[in-house]
Amino acid sequence: MQNPVKFNLPSESDLERFIGELGDQYAIKKEPNKTETIRIYDTFDWRLFNKSLVLYECGDNLCLLKLPKSEMIHSVKITSPPVFIWEFPDSRLKEQLTLIIGVRALLKLVEVQSRSRSYCLLNEEGKTVVRLAYEEIRSSRKKDAPTIAAHLCLRPVKGYPKHSQKITHRFEGAGLTISKEDDTYFKGLEAVGKKPGSYSTKINIQLDPDMRSDDATKVILRFLLQIIRINEANIEKELDTEFVHDFRVAIRRTRSALGQIKCVFPSKTTDRFKKNFSFVGRLSNELRDLDVYLLKEDTYKAKLPPVLSDDINPLFDYLLEKRSKAFQKVVRGLKSKQYAKILKDWEAFLDEPQQDSSTASNAELPVIDLASKRIYKKYRSVVKAGNLILENTDDKMLHVLRIHCKKLRYLMEFFSSLFPRKKINILIDQLKKLQDNLGDFNDLCVQEEYLLNIAKELPVTQGQLKKTLVAIGGLVGTLGRERQVVKDAFAKTFTDFASPANNDLFQELFISQAQQGVL
Amino acid sequence: MTTLAIYSNKGGVGKTATAVNLSYLAAQTGAKTLLCDLDPQSSATYYFRVKPKLRSGVKGLIKGGKKAYRSVKGTDYENLDLLPADFSLRNLDVIFNKLKRSKKRLKEILDPFKDEYDYIILDCPVTISILAENIFNAVDYTLVPLIPTTLSVRTYRQLLSFCKKIDYDIGRIFAFFSMVDQRKKMHKELMIATSKSFNHVLKSFIPYLAQIEKMGIHREPVPVFSPKSIASKAYENLWDKVKKNILSADRYM
Repeated sequence: MQNPVKFNLPSESDLERFIGELGDQYAIKKEPNKTETIRIYDTFDWRLFNKSLVLYECGDNLCLLKLPKSEMIHSVKITSPPVFIWEFPDSRLKEQLTLIIGVRALLKLVEVQSRSRSYCLLNEEGKTVVRLAYEEIRSSRKKDAPTIAAHLCLRPVKGYPKHSQKITHRFEGAGLTISKEDDTYFKGLEAVGKKPGSYSTKINIQLDPDMRSDDATKVILRFLLQIIRINEANIEKELDTEFVHDFRVAIRRTRSALGQIKCVFPSKTTDRFKKNFSFVGRLSNELRDLDVYLLKEDTYKAKLPPVLSDDINPLFDYLLEKRSKAFQKVVRGLKSKQYAKILKDWEAFLDEPQQDSSTASNAELPVIDLASKRIYKKYRSVVKAGNLILENTDDKMLHVLRIHCKKLRYLMEFFSSLFPRKKINILIDQLKKLQDNLGDFNDLCVQEEYLLNIAKELPVTQGQLKKTLVAIGGLVGTLGRERQVVKDAFAKTFTDFASPANNDLFQELFISQAQQGVL
Repeated sequence: MTTLAIYSNKGGVGKTATAVNLSYLAAQTGAKTLLCDLDPQSSATYYFRVKPKLRSGVKGLIKGGKKAYRSVKGTDYENLDLLPADFSLRNLDVIFNKLKRSKKRLKEILDPFKDEYDYIILDCPVTISILAENIFNAVDYTLVPLIPTTLSVRTYRQLLSFCKKIDYDIGRIFAFFSMVDQRKKMHKELMIATSKSFNHVLKSFIPYLAQIEKMGIHREPVPVFSPKSIASKAYENLWDKVKKNILSADRYM
């Protein structure tokens, strides 16, 4: 696709003059004026923007642009705007977005109005060799709506570069300047008070190494509370499954911070809130489990021989029914007085001044020291637990190691701003690989057990049940084989993580500070 | 990505009109489409108001890659590009003959275009020589316009036996009736008989219509200058059948 050149045009009234002057070399064909609504989409967590992509709908086209120049990458015809990736028509656009969007819903960010007056410049054969359009984007249809962008846009036609070059020179000679960056996207969002990239679950805080540990911990916890609040408000809208997921992760991180950043608050307070957040986490356990199975429907079906893939439908029908009840339970839970009180108490605690306590022995410690000590200690427990598994692989121990890894990961993410970014990211990436292996193993264990248990509950007739059970059996068999493959890969994955090079880096980053401190 | 040749070993059967209108309709669905005009008569190129000229002529085309790519022209229609014809294409047969891998050269020229386009449609000259073999080796499917006359059907039979001889999978060749005069009893009878005796004859035909001939005056695809005409509907119907019966096995429908 040829990328347009946009000129800043002082006023629309100059347009006729500029176009008219080209009449000496080209026949000019006026196209009908167009007024169109442009709707821009992204996921709640800005997945497209984070990849410098803009997805918009205009007429019956869905287009993908690349920022900052707004180059068109792909476009596809649609009959209605898709919400999920599986609703996209098969196309290159879908291929490119599949991994990026994942299971998130596309939400309309903003709607703007585009008005264009277009002209074709024709050569002696009557063939269009350059297209020119005055394009104006306003925030709404109203006449007095503020103009977000206005350009004279030159669209080259492939194979006729000389004509577009010649006209570009003429325009520049006449005093028009080329607009280098296209900020229509940003201005459009600004008009509705939206800031691209404003939501992310990534721990985005800057800690000062000399801060008191209790203060630093509250900074982390306040960040997590914000994520909890944002998602809690959206869960009820049922836009996609990931609000519940992000909500749960923020709760889990909060619990982990309370448990792992030791002795920074009075122990009674810590214990009380740990219990409270454990309760809040449990509220959505069943819903999340069901979401995971339902999202895996296609993957599961693909694992079955084609003759069985429809026989498993009663299972998913049943899970869907259960999900609807579990969802209502979560909504009720989030509206309950108990939940409101827990969060209110929590907010009050985070806002109140720090209190002295004999059980908060680390409270005054510079956070860099506490962070180094905790991370290194957790790293050692991971290595120790992993080495034991290498000697004797036991499913329960793999589970224990997974939990250790999760705690280590959270600690490293909470405190990452205190350490050299590149180095800590290398270690986080290495840890991720190990976590993926352990996570896959755990998921497969849990799934096998869940599927076998759920089979007993299925509300189907005897005849149907047999077929469904055969399908579930087939699926469990495949999952079992996959579990073994994952388990076999553990030794190498762990050895890579516990490599001397990584060990050196862990020591370099976390042990020197720790030695100066409390170790 | 799918490649489709509009081909016949008989002249004057409506190949170019078919290629031009089908590529226009393909592009209208949002699919990026390239029409390659391989005919030195350059009629398809003329319909799109493009000069019949390739960069460095037929030799530039044979070199493929960037050289061939630079010859591509954007048409006046969204998503539709044209690789224009050139008078020197008349030597394509002779040149292919002299080269190594002489029967796969066209495929090699087109391969680099496959990343960019969803459909590549070839408007082929009348040929049953080495160029024809190049065409069959380069495309996924071949669509043959067939006039319901004895001679046209006889030529089609010749084509199928030629394909069998060169061991080409005739399952990838499809035909449809073109320039049908519905007032003629013979046309009707031949259409019924031919559909029975050959597999892969599409249940869609293009009538003999003045509107189609007027493409030469308008220099535009029929659906552009006469969108509601019978001719336009006939091509839309044909494209629909092509998609359902031929291309449905492929992606990006």
